[in-house]
Amino acid sequence: MPAPDLTPPEAARWAARSGLPLAPDRHAEVALTADHIHSVVSVLRELDFGDTPPATAYRAGGERHDASV
Amino acid sequence: MRPYELTVAEAAEAVRTRRLSPVELVDSVLERIEHVEPRLRAFTTVTAGPARRAARRAEDEIAGGFLRGPLHGIPAGLKDLIDVAGTATTASSRVRADHRAEADSTVAARLTAAGAAFVGKTHTHEFAYGLTTPQTGNAWDLGRVAGGSSGGSAVAVAAGAATFALGTDTGGSIRVPASLNGVVGLKPTYGLVPRYGVTSLSWSLDHVGPLTRTVEDAALVLAALAGHDPRDPASVAAPAVDYRPGPGTDLTGLRVGVPRNYYFDRVDPEVEASVRRAIERLEELGARAVEVEIPMTRYIQATQWGLMVPEASAYHERTLRAVPDLYAADVRVLLEAGELMTAGDYLRAQRARTLMRQAWLEMLEDVDVIAAPTVPLTAVKAGRSSVTWGDGEVESVSDAYVRLSAPADITGVPALTVPVGRDTAGMPIGMQLMGKPFGDATVLRVGHAYELTGTALGLAPAA
Repeated sequence: MPAPDLTPPEAARWAARSGLPLAPDRHAEVALTADHIHSVVSVLRELDFGDTPPATAYRAGGERHDASV
Repeated sequence: MRPYELTVAEAAEAVRTRRLSPVELVDSVLERIEHVEPRLRAFTTVTAGPARRAARRAEDEIAGGFLRGPLHGIPAGLKDLIDVAGTATTASSRVRADHRAEADSTVAARLTAAGAAFVGKTHTHEFAYGLTTPQTGNAWDLGRVAGGSSGGSAVAVAAGAATFALGTDTGGSIRVPASLNGVVGLKPTYGLVPRYGVTSLSWSLDHVGPLTRTVEDAALVLAALAGHDPRDPASVAAPAVDYRPGPGTDLTGLRVGVPRNYYFDRVDPEVEASVRRAIERLEELGARAVEVEIPMTRYIQATQWGLMVPEASAYHERTLRAVPDLYAADVRVLLEAGELMTAGDYLRAQRARTLMRQAWLEMLEDVDVIAAPTVPLTAVKAGRSSVTWGDGEVESVSDAYVRLSAPADITGVPALTVPVGRDTAGMPIGMQLMGKPFGDATVLRVGHAYELTGTALGLAPAA
């Protein structure tokens, strides 16, 4: 079930909880953009990740090439 | 031929054989900048004094029998995200108005050690967070976008205002402007070129690489940049390979992957036709075309955004709170909205990246390179915000430009763009060659062989 759109006051509250106070004239635009970002990234919830770890310690070849260092 | 028209390889040979002094070369490029810069606006700063001093030093060293290598005395532009000690790294942003870099970035230090002369810092879409670089005009048509975010670097190289330049690529920011301005751009394998001292957009995805007028030049510059630096946690030791392609064009036995999905979907017909002709040319050189299925395409944009958006907001956390009004409107709202993404969304993107890397490695077992369009459409008129495709789908210009280049940033594979022609409006078209991780020499070899069949566009008219 898709999440309902973020309202401008909700966006302001979420931003404040992140430590980012938003001026009232920012609320609507930020809510719209945050909704768009959410619609793009939430598709990842379809994936079954199982035991897959995050790629934070990333090596493009999948192994260390600097073993001699 | 005037010195500013020379490629890196040609200039290096002329300098090595003392037919051309670095001082003449740098003066020629600086004069070219004076001529074209008022219209193109490719540079944030032109550093004529330091460039001339570097050229005189190179001239003295070479006269004394000390040749540092093929970049000795060669004029270079640096995207203005790249630190050079004692100068501002503006990121083309008012946020950085008073900035002054305390130390050289790794890449600036390596180019200096190789003898390059920095003629200036080039414009970026503000903090690399965009695909157009609105300050700068396209080198082939001032009324069209330069592409981004390394727009200034691509335009300077295309117009002869730098013999080569460096850019950065997080979703396509080297390859997109290179393609739109008819030059070569290489996004090396993730970790091959250290990013220490380069302003970050997204640590997971940022790469530094060259923009040049030929593939051979890209190889010459990459050789000076690659190599481990522990100050960049993603940096790895470069494999001991010679990046410079050989003189031959024989590609016998090479397997070229041609995507049956994704890379030719919603692509301008003229772009598709040019790229397919270029693939046929690779086959004429002996390569064998192999159809490949691009995996996990539904999750490419989600993974790209899931990594980039929160990382960019994290990088800008302090300044977004201190001086939000100094950001351009388009960048500011992305940074603000990025604060609202959850850790769960970010971790899903990191885990999706792991899956995508594995799926790409499996796909790449069957081929040596993948050939595809770099961008689905050529440079659009400045101010145009969306494109409507044949199936009625409307896509933002930024989403379209990043769509085909993002996979190589997510997976980290090397990706090269080479010019393959121009459309009926005269705008350049690029073909992207992607390889296996650390197969940078292979994509350069294939691009070089293609280019030797006579496809380089030469200097842009620069309006």
